[in-house]
Amino acid sequence: MAQIFRKSANNIAKISMVTVVLLAGVGFYAWTQLARSSYLTGQYLEIQQPVQFSHKHHVGDDGIDCRYCHQTVETTASAGMPSTQTCMNCHSQLWADAPYLEPIRASFRDNKPIQWNRVHDLPEYVYFNHSIHIAKGVGCSTCHGPVDKMPTVYEENTLQMEWCIQCHREPEKFIRPKSEVFNMAYRPDDTDQATRDQLKVDYKIRSREMLTSCSTCHR
Amino acid sequence: MSLNKRNERRLYLRFALILAAVCGLLLTEACGVRSDMQDQPRYDAYEKSDFFSDGRSSRDYPEGTVARGHLEDNKAFFTGKIDNPDPNAQAATSTDANGNTVVASFPNAITEFPLPVTKELIDRGEDRYKIYCMVCHGQFGDGDGMVVRRGFPQPPTYHDDRLRNAPVGHFFDVITNGWGKMNPYGYQVQAADRWAIVAYIRTLQLSRNPDSNLKMTSTANSNTGAPVPAKPEIPAANAATNRGGTR
Repeated sequence: MAQIFRKSANNIAKISMVTVVLLAGVGFYAWTQLARSSYLTGQYLEIQQPVQFSHKHHVGDDGIDCRYCHQTVETTASAGMPSTQTCMNCHSQLWADAPYLEPIRASFRDNKPIQWNRVHDLPEYVYFNHSIHIAKGVGCSTCHGPVDKMPTVYEENTLQMEWCIQCHREPEKFIRPKSEVFNMAYRPDDTDQATRDQLKVDYKIRSREMLTSCSTCHR
Repeated sequence: MSLNKRNERRLYLRFALILAAVCGLLLTEACGVRSDMQDQPRYDAYEKSDFFSDGRSSRDYPEGTVARGHLEDNKAFFTGKIDNPDPNAQAATSTDANGNTVVASFPNAITEFPLPVTKELIDRGEDRYKIYCMVCHGQFGDGDGMVVRRGFPQPPTYHDDRLRNAPVGHFFDVITNGWGKMNPYGYQVQAADRWAIVAYIRTLQLSRNPDSNLKMTSTANSNTGAPVPAKPEIPAANAATNRGGTR
Protein backbone atom coordinates (compact mmCIF):
# COMPACT_ATOMS: atom_id res chain seq x y z
CA MET A 1 0.00 0.00 0.00
CA ALA A 2 1.20 3.47 -0.86
CA GLN A 3 2.16 5.98 1.81
CA ILE A 4 -0.71 8.25 2.84
CA PHE A 5 1.52 11.27 3.48
CA ARG A 6 4.08 12.64 1.13
CA LYS A 7 7.46 13.61 2.43
CA SER A 8 6.49 17.29 2.57
CA ALA A 9 3.95 16.50 5.28
CA ASN A 10 6.83 16.29 7.76
CA ASN A 11 7.64 19.93 7.22
CA ILE A 12 4.01 20.96 7.25
CA ALA A 13 3.57 19.22 10.59
CA LYS A 14 6.56 21.00 12.12
CA ILE A 15 5.58 24.38 10.72
CA SER A 16 2.00 24.00 11.86
CA MET A 17 3.11 23.20 15.42
CA VAL A 18 5.07 26.45 15.57
CA THR A 19 2.26 28.32 13.84
CA VAL A 20 -0.34 27.12 16.35
CA VAL A 21 1.76 28.38 19.26
CA LEU A 22 2.42 31.67 17.49
CA LEU A 23 -1.23 32.09 16.53
CA ALA A 24 -2.32 31.36 20.09
CA GLY A 25 0.11 34.00 21.33
CA VAL A 26 -1.01 36.57 18.78
CA GLY A 27 -4.64 35.68 19.45
CA PHE A 28 -4.20 36.13 23.19
CA TYR A 29 -2.48 39.46 22.70
CA ALA A 30 -5.18 40.60 20.29
CA TRP A 31 -7.82 39.58 22.82
CA THR A 32 -6.20 41.56 25.64
CA GLN A 33 -5.99 44.61 23.39
CA LEU A 34 -9.56 44.21 22.20
CA ALA A 35 -10.78 43.92 25.79
CA ARG A 36 -9.08 47.24 26.62
CA SER A 37 -10.15 48.98 23.44
CA SER A 38 -12.71 51.74 23.43
CA TYR A 39 -14.76 49.47 21.18
CA LEU A 40 -15.53 47.29 24.19
CA THR A 41 -15.03 49.69 27.14
CA GLY A 42 -16.79 52.69 25.62
CA GLN A 43 -13.83 54.91 26.54
CA TYR A 44 -13.80 58.23 24.64
CA LEU A 45 -17.20 57.39 23.16
CA GLU A 46 -19.37 60.51 23.23
CA ILE A 47 -22.85 59.71 24.47
CA GLN A 48 -25.63 61.74 22.86
CA GLN A 49 -28.37 63.09 25.13
CA PRO A 50 -32.01 64.09 24.59
CA VAL A 51 -30.92 67.72 25.18
CA GLN A 52 -27.63 68.98 23.77
CA PHE A 53 -26.33 69.89 27.19
CA SER A 54 -22.74 71.14 27.18
CA HIS A 55 -20.58 70.78 30.27
CA LYS A 56 -18.00 72.90 28.47
CA HIS A 57 -20.42 75.83 28.45
CA HIS A 58 -21.89 75.44 31.94
CA VAL A 59 -18.70 74.47 33.79
CA GLY A 60 -15.94 75.86 31.59
CA ASP A 61 -17.49 79.12 30.39
CA ASP A 62 -19.92 79.92 33.22
CA GLY A 63 -17.92 78.48 36.12
CA ILE A 64 -20.85 76.71 37.74
CA ASP A 65 -19.73 74.32 40.47
CA CYS A 66 -20.21 70.58 39.88
CA ARG A 67 -22.37 70.41 42.99
CA TYR A 68 -24.89 72.97 41.76
CA CYS A 69 -26.39 70.12 39.73
CA HIS A 70 -24.78 66.99 41.17
CA GLN A 71 -26.04 67.83 44.63
CA THR A 72 -25.62 64.53 46.44
CA VAL A 73 -22.05 63.77 45.38
CA GLU A 74 -20.70 64.58 48.85
CA THR A 75 -23.28 62.61 50.79
CA THR A 76 -24.46 59.57 48.82
CA ALA A 77 -23.26 56.84 46.50
CA SER A 78 -24.83 58.48 43.47
CA ALA A 79 -23.52 61.89 42.43
CA GLY A 80 -27.10 62.90 41.77
CA MET A 81 -28.71 64.02 38.55
CA PRO A 82 -30.38 67.42 38.62
CA SER A 83 -34.14 67.50 38.47
CA THR A 84 -35.62 69.59 35.68
CA GLN A 85 -36.31 72.29 38.26
CA THR A 86 -32.56 72.83 38.56
CA CYS A 87 -32.36 73.57 34.82
CA MET A 88 -35.27 75.95 35.18
CA ASN A 89 -33.51 77.94 37.92
CA CYS A 90 -31.77 79.75 35.07
CA HIS A 91 -33.63 78.67 31.95
CA SER A 92 -36.94 80.04 33.13
CA GLN A 93 -35.29 83.34 32.16
CA LEU A 94 -32.32 82.55 29.93
CA TRP A 95 -33.05 81.08 26.49
CA ALA A 96 -36.58 80.64 27.74
CA ASP A 97 -37.91 80.56 24.17
CA ALA A 98 -35.13 78.50 22.57
CA PRO A 99 -36.51 75.52 20.61
CA TYR A 100 -33.34 73.76 21.68
CA LEU A 101 -34.61 73.66 25.27
CA GLU A 102 -38.14 72.50 24.51
CA PRO A 103 -37.49 69.02 26.02
CA ILE A 104 -36.62 70.77 29.31
CA ARG A 105 -39.76 72.88 29.29
CA ALA A 106 -41.88 69.88 28.27
CA SER A 107 -40.43 67.91 31.17
CA PHE A 108 -41.18 70.78 33.56
CA ARG A 109 -44.73 71.26 32.24
CA ASP A 110 -45.70 67.60 32.23
CA ASN A 111 -43.79 66.69 35.39
CA LYS A 112 -41.98 63.94 33.50
CA PRO A 113 -38.27 63.32 34.07
CA ILE A 114 -35.87 63.75 31.17
CA GLN A 115 -34.38 60.41 30.21
CA TRP A 116 -30.66 61.10 30.17
CA ASN A 117 -28.36 58.41 28.85
CA ARG A 118 -25.90 57.00 31.36
CA VAL A 119 -22.29 57.65 30.40
CA HIS A 120 -20.53 55.82 33.22
CA ASP A 121 -22.23 52.46 33.64
CA LEU A 122 -20.46 50.20 36.08
CA PRO A 123 -21.35 46.52 36.28
CA GLU A 124 -23.78 46.05 39.14
CA TYR A 125 -21.47 43.81 41.14
CA VAL A 126 -19.36 46.90 41.81
CA TYR A 127 -20.63 49.06 44.66
CA PHE A 128 -19.06 52.39 43.83
CA ASN A 129 -19.70 55.28 46.20
CA HIS A 130 -18.99 58.89 45.20
CA SER A 131 -19.12 60.36 48.70
CA ILE A 132 -16.24 58.37 50.15
CA HIS A 133 -13.98 59.25 47.23
CA ILE A 134 -14.77 62.96 47.64
CA ALA A 135 -14.17 62.71 51.39
CA LYS A 136 -10.73 61.16 50.86
CA GLY A 137 -9.47 63.72 48.37
CA VAL A 138 -10.11 62.10 45.00
CA GLY A 139 -10.83 64.91 42.56
CA CYS A 140 -13.67 64.84 40.03
CA SER A 141 -11.26 65.17 37.14
CA THR A 142 -9.06 62.32 38.38
CA CYS A 143 -11.69 59.88 37.17
CA HIS A 144 -13.93 61.96 34.91
CA GLY A 145 -11.23 63.88 33.06
CA PRO A 146 -11.56 67.45 31.78
CA VAL A 147 -15.36 67.62 31.92
CA ASP A 148 -15.13 71.42 31.73
CA LYS A 149 -13.79 70.97 28.20
CA MET A 150 -16.33 68.37 27.06
CA PRO A 151 -19.23 69.63 24.95
CA THR A 152 -20.51 66.05 24.96
CA VAL A 153 -19.48 63.91 27.88
CA TYR A 154 -17.52 60.73 27.34
CA GLU A 155 -15.76 58.26 29.60
CA GLU A 156 -12.22 59.50 30.15
CA ASN A 157 -11.15 56.13 31.56
CA THR A 158 -11.96 52.50 30.86
CA LEU A 159 -13.64 51.90 34.25
CA GLN A 160 -12.05 48.48 34.14
CA MET A 161 -10.90 46.92 37.38
CA GLU A 162 -7.23 47.27 36.50
CA TRP A 163 -7.85 51.01 36.26
CA CYS A 164 -9.64 51.21 39.63
CA ILE A 165 -7.05 49.10 41.36
CA GLN A 166 -4.03 51.14 40.34
CA CYS A 167 -5.31 53.94 42.58
CA HIS A 168 -6.49 51.57 45.31
CA ARG A 169 -2.94 50.20 45.41
CA GLU A 170 -1.23 53.59 45.54
CA PRO A 171 -3.77 56.28 46.43
CA GLU A 172 -0.95 58.67 47.41
CA LYS A 173 -0.16 59.06 43.72
CA PHE A 174 -3.62 60.33 42.86
CA ILE A 175 -5.18 62.14 45.83
CA ARG A 176 -5.24 65.92 46.24
CA PRO A 177 -6.12 68.36 49.02
CA LYS A 178 -9.86 68.32 49.75
CA SER A 179 -10.06 72.00 48.86
CA GLU A 180 -9.05 71.12 45.28
CA VAL A 181 -11.44 68.21 44.74
CA PHE A 182 -13.89 70.23 42.63
CA ASN A 183 -11.22 72.32 40.94
CA MET A 184 -11.18 71.43 37.26
CA ALA A 185 -7.96 73.37 36.64
CA TYR A 186 -6.01 71.29 39.15
CA ARG A 187 -3.12 69.26 37.71
CA PRO A 188 -1.71 66.14 39.39
CA ASP A 189 1.71 67.74 39.98
CA ASP A 190 0.24 70.80 41.71
CA THR A 191 0.89 68.91 44.93
CA ASP A 192 4.26 67.29 45.52
CA GLN A 193 4.68 63.67 46.53
CA ALA A 194 5.65 64.38 50.15
CA THR A 195 2.47 66.42 50.64
CA ARG A 196 0.37 63.70 49.08
CA ASP A 197 1.93 61.09 51.37
CA GLN A 198 0.98 63.31 54.30
CA LEU A 199 -2.56 63.74 52.93
CA LYS A 200 -2.95 59.97 52.89
CA VAL A 201 -2.21 59.95 56.62
CA ASP A 202 -4.31 63.03 57.39
CA TYR A 203 -7.35 61.74 55.51
CA LYS A 204 -7.01 58.36 57.23
CA ILE A 205 -6.92 56.48 53.93
CA ARG A 206 -6.78 52.80 54.71
CA SER A 207 -3.98 50.39 54.00
CA ARG A 208 -3.25 48.92 50.60
CA GLU A 209 -4.42 45.51 51.85
CA MET A 210 -7.74 46.99 52.93
CA LEU A 211 -8.29 49.00 49.75
CA THR A 212 -7.51 46.06 47.48
CA SER A 213 -9.59 43.59 49.45
CA CYS A 214 -12.32 42.09 47.22
CA SER A 215 -15.15 43.05 49.54
CA THR A 216 -14.17 46.72 49.51
CA CYS A 217 -15.89 47.04 46.13
CA HIS A 218 -17.66 43.70 45.66
CA ARG A 219 -20.16 42.53 48.23
CA MET B 1 -0.95 8.89 -6.79
CA SER B 2 -4.25 10.65 -7.26
CA LEU B 3 -5.75 8.43 -4.58
CA ASN B 4 -3.05 9.46 -2.11
CA LYS B 5 -3.59 13.09 -2.85
CA ARG B 6 -7.34 12.77 -2.35
CA ASN B 7 -6.85 11.01 0.98
CA GLU B 8 -4.48 13.69 2.06
CA ARG B 9 -6.90 16.44 1.12
CA ARG B 10 -9.73 14.70 2.92
CA LEU B 11 -7.61 14.54 6.02
CA TYR B 12 -6.80 18.24 5.83
CA LEU B 13 -10.44 19.06 5.20
CA ARG B 14 -11.51 17.08 8.26
CA PHE B 15 -8.90 18.89 10.33
CA ALA B 16 -10.10 22.25 9.00
CA LEU B 17 -13.69 21.35 9.81
CA ILE B 18 -12.84 20.44 13.39
CA LEU B 19 -10.85 23.67 13.74
CA ALA B 20 -13.77 25.69 12.38
CA ALA B 21 -16.15 23.97 14.78
CA VAL B 22 -13.92 24.74 17.78
CA CYS B 23 -13.53 28.36 16.67
CA GLY B 24 -17.28 28.65 16.14
CA LEU B 25 -17.93 27.29 19.63
CA LEU B 26 -15.51 29.77 21.17
CA LEU B 27 -17.08 32.60 19.21
CA THR B 28 -20.61 31.67 20.29
CA GLU B 29 -19.38 31.53 23.87
CA ALA B 30 -17.86 34.98 23.50
CA CYS B 31 -20.94 36.57 21.96
CA GLY B 32 -23.49 34.86 24.14
CA VAL B 33 -21.92 35.84 27.45
CA ARG B 34 -24.59 36.01 30.10
CA SER B 35 -24.76 39.40 31.78
CA ASP B 36 -26.95 38.56 34.78
CA MET B 37 -24.22 39.80 37.08
CA GLN B 38 -23.68 43.06 35.20
CA ASP B 39 -27.38 43.87 35.13
CA GLN B 40 -28.92 42.53 38.28
CA PRO B 41 -32.67 42.60 38.89
CA ARG B 42 -32.51 45.73 41.05
CA TYR B 43 -32.58 49.43 40.31
CA ASP B 44 -29.49 51.57 39.97
CA ALA B 45 -29.95 55.16 41.04
CA TYR B 46 -32.18 56.84 38.42
CA GLU B 47 -32.60 53.60 36.46
CA LYS B 48 -35.73 53.49 34.34
CA SER B 49 -38.55 51.45 35.78
CA ASP B 50 -40.95 49.45 33.65
CA PHE B 51 -43.24 48.91 36.62
CA PHE B 52 -44.27 52.45 37.52
CA SER B 53 -46.29 54.34 34.94
CA ASP B 54 -44.08 57.43 35.07
CA GLY B 55 -40.96 55.32 34.54
CA ARG B 56 -39.20 56.52 37.69
CA SER B 57 -37.59 53.99 39.99
CA SER B 58 -36.89 56.66 42.64
CA ARG B 59 -40.24 57.03 44.35
CA ASP B 60 -41.66 59.89 46.39
CA TYR B 61 -42.78 59.33 49.94
CA PRO B 62 -46.52 58.68 50.14
CA GLU B 63 -48.31 61.89 50.96
CA GLY B 64 -48.57 62.63 54.64
CA THR B 65 -45.71 60.40 55.75
CA VAL B 66 -42.67 61.68 57.61
CA ALA B 67 -39.28 60.01 57.34
CA ARG B 68 -37.61 59.11 60.62
CA GLY B 69 -35.72 62.14 61.91
CA HIS B 70 -37.45 64.49 59.49
CA LEU B 71 -40.42 65.68 61.49
CA GLU B 72 -39.08 69.24 61.15
CA ASP B 73 -41.11 70.53 64.10
CA ASN B 74 -38.59 73.25 64.91
CA LYS B 75 -40.45 75.99 63.09
CA ALA B 76 -37.82 78.69 63.40
CA PHE B 77 -35.11 76.37 62.09
CA PHE B 78 -37.02 74.99 59.13
CA THR B 79 -39.01 78.04 57.99
CA GLY B 80 -37.23 81.09 59.42
CA LYS B 81 -40.61 82.34 60.67
CA ILE B 82 -41.76 83.22 64.17
CA ASP B 83 -43.91 80.78 66.09
CA ASN B 84 -47.30 82.43 65.76
CA PRO B 85 -47.09 84.53 62.60
CA ASP B 86 -49.78 87.11 62.15
CA PRO B 87 -51.58 86.14 58.93
CA ASN B 88 -52.74 89.73 58.48
CA ALA B 89 -49.30 91.27 58.91
CA GLN B 90 -48.65 93.69 56.06
CA ALA B 91 -45.15 94.20 54.75
CA ALA B 92 -44.19 97.77 53.94
CA THR B 93 -43.63 98.12 50.22
CA SER B 94 -42.55 100.78 47.81
CA THR B 95 -42.06 100.99 44.07
CA ASP B 96 -38.63 101.58 42.62
CA ALA B 97 -37.63 103.49 39.50
CA ASN B 98 -38.19 100.45 37.26
CA GLY B 99 -41.70 99.93 38.53
CA ASN B 100 -40.78 96.89 40.63
CA THR B 101 -42.34 96.41 44.01
CA VAL B 102 -39.74 96.51 46.77
CA VAL B 103 -40.57 94.92 50.09
CA ALA B 104 -39.04 96.86 52.95
CA SER B 105 -40.26 95.11 56.08
CA PHE B 106 -40.52 91.45 56.96
CA PRO B 107 -42.98 91.10 59.84
CA ASN B 108 -43.00 87.34 60.47
CA ALA B 109 -39.33 86.52 59.97
CA ILE B 110 -37.17 85.58 62.95
CA THR B 111 -34.43 88.06 63.79
CA GLU B 112 -31.92 85.73 65.45
CA PHE B 113 -30.20 82.59 64.17
CA PRO B 114 -31.87 79.43 65.51
CA LEU B 115 -28.44 77.78 65.82
CA PRO B 116 -25.07 78.85 67.19
CA VAL B 117 -23.10 81.03 64.77
CA THR B 118 -19.57 79.66 64.73
CA LYS B 119 -16.62 80.02 62.39
CA GLU B 120 -17.37 76.52 61.12
CA LEU B 121 -20.91 77.58 60.24
CA ILE B 122 -19.67 80.64 58.34
CA ASP B 123 -17.00 78.60 56.53
CA ARG B 124 -19.60 76.07 55.53
CA GLY B 125 -21.78 78.95 54.39
CA GLU B 126 -19.00 80.36 52.22
CA ASP B 127 -18.53 76.96 50.63
CA ARG B 128 -22.25 76.54 49.92
CA TYR B 129 -22.67 80.18 48.81
CA LYS B 130 -20.01 79.68 46.17
CA ILE B 131 -21.82 76.63 44.82
CA TYR B 132 -25.44 77.75 44.78
CA CYS B 133 -25.57 81.54 45.12
CA MET B 134 -22.45 82.99 43.54
CA VAL B 135 -23.60 82.17 39.99
CA CYS B 136 -26.15 85.00 40.26
CA HIS B 137 -25.39 87.03 43.39
CA GLY B 138 -21.68 87.31 42.59
CA GLN B 139 -18.68 86.53 44.71
CA PHE B 140 -19.29 89.42 47.12
CA GLY B 141 -23.05 89.71 46.94
CA ASP B 142 -23.30 92.61 44.49
CA GLY B 143 -25.67 90.73 42.21
CA ASP B 144 -23.23 90.53 39.31
CA GLY B 145 -22.70 86.77 38.98
CA MET B 146 -21.90 85.07 35.69
CA VAL B 147 -25.51 84.05 35.05
CA VAL B 148 -26.57 87.68 35.48
CA ARG B 149 -23.89 88.74 33.02
CA ARG B 150 -25.47 86.24 30.60
CA GLY B 151 -28.78 88.03 30.88
CA PHE B 152 -30.59 86.81 33.97
CA PRO B 153 -32.49 89.67 35.70
CA GLN B 154 -30.14 91.25 38.23
CA PRO B 155 -30.85 90.52 41.89
CA PRO B 156 -30.47 93.36 44.41
CA THR B 157 -27.14 93.83 46.15
CA TYR B 158 -26.83 92.69 49.76
CA HIS B 159 -25.02 95.93 50.52
CA ASP B 160 -27.87 98.35 50.93
CA ASP B 161 -29.73 99.42 54.05
CA ARG B 162 -32.90 97.55 53.13
CA LEU B 163 -31.20 94.14 53.15
CA ARG B 164 -28.77 95.07 55.94
CA ASN B 165 -31.80 95.65 58.12
CA ALA B 166 -33.69 92.60 56.88
CA PRO B 167 -34.00 89.90 59.55
CA VAL B 168 -32.09 86.63 59.07
CA GLY B 169 -35.36 84.74 58.77
CA HIS B 170 -36.09 86.67 55.57
CA PHE B 171 -32.92 85.43 53.85
CA PHE B 172 -33.72 81.90 54.95
CA ASP B 173 -37.24 82.20 53.61
CA VAL B 174 -36.00 83.50 50.26
CA ILE B 175 -33.52 80.64 49.86
CA THR B 176 -36.19 78.14 50.84
CA ASN B 177 -39.12 79.42 48.81
CA GLY B 178 -37.66 81.74 46.21
CA TRP B 179 -38.36 85.43 45.64
CA GLY B 180 -39.19 87.28 42.46
CA LYS B 181 -37.34 85.63 39.59
CA MET B 182 -35.35 83.43 41.96
CA ASN B 183 -36.55 79.85 42.16
CA PRO B 184 -36.84 78.02 45.50
CA TYR B 185 -33.59 76.36 46.57
CA GLY B 186 -35.08 74.49 49.53
CA TYR B 187 -35.01 71.20 47.64
CA GLN B 188 -31.38 71.75 46.62
CA VAL B 189 -29.87 73.04 49.87
CA GLN B 190 -30.52 71.45 53.24
CA ALA B 191 -31.93 73.62 56.05
CA ALA B 192 -28.72 73.68 58.11
CA ASP B 193 -26.77 74.71 55.01
CA ARG B 194 -29.29 77.45 54.30
CA TRP B 195 -28.61 78.92 57.75
CA ALA B 196 -24.90 78.63 57.05
CA ILE B 197 -25.43 80.62 53.84
CA VAL B 198 -27.41 83.25 55.74
CA ALA B 199 -24.53 83.54 58.20
CA TYR B 200 -22.14 84.04 55.28
CA ILE B 201 -24.39 86.68 53.69
CA ARG B 202 -24.34 88.54 57.03
CA THR B 203 -20.54 88.22 56.99
CA LEU B 204 -20.40 89.70 53.48
CA GLN B 205 -22.57 92.59 54.63
CA LEU B 206 -20.34 93.22 57.64
CA SER B 207 -17.25 93.18 55.43
CA ARG B 208 -18.43 96.36 53.65
CA ASN B 209 -19.95 97.99 56.69
CA PRO B 210 -17.92 96.97 59.74
CA ASP B 211 -19.36 99.67 62.00
CA SER B 212 -22.96 98.63 61.53
CA ASN B 213 -24.83 96.92 64.28
CA LEU B 214 -25.66 93.82 62.26
CA LYS B 215 -25.97 91.20 64.92
CA MET B 216 -24.93 87.60 64.48
CA THR B 217 -26.82 86.68 67.63
CA SER B 218 -28.42 83.35 67.97
CA THR B 219 -31.22 82.03 70.14
CA ALA B 220 -29.30 78.77 70.33
CA ASN B 221 -26.20 80.29 71.94
CA SER B 222 -27.49 79.28 75.35
CA ASN B 223 -27.64 75.72 74.08
CA THR B 224 -31.40 75.31 74.05
CA GLY B 225 -31.27 72.10 72.11
CA ALA B 226 -31.71 73.50 68.62
CA PRO B 227 -30.19 71.34 65.89
CA VAL B 228 -26.52 71.91 65.30
CA PRO B 229 -25.33 71.22 61.77
CA ALA B 230 -22.15 69.40 62.65
CA LYS B 231 -22.60 67.41 59.47
CA PRO B 232 -24.74 68.13 56.46
CA GLU B 233 -28.07 66.44 56.76
CA ILE B 234 -28.77 63.38 54.74
CA PRO B 235 -31.02 64.51 51.92
CA ALA B 236 -34.60 63.47 52.35
CA ALA B 237 -36.81 62.59 49.47
CA ASN B 238 -38.62 65.64 48.28
CA ALA B 239 -42.20 65.49 47.15
CA ALA B 240 -41.71 67.74 44.13
CA THR B 241 -38.49 66.44 42.71
CA ASN B 242 -36.86 63.31 41.50
CA ARG B 243 -33.96 62.77 43.84
CA GLY B 244 -31.88 59.63 43.83
CA GLY B 245 -29.17 58.22 45.98
CA THR B 246 -31.02 55.01 46.69
CA ARG B 247 -28.06 52.89 45.87
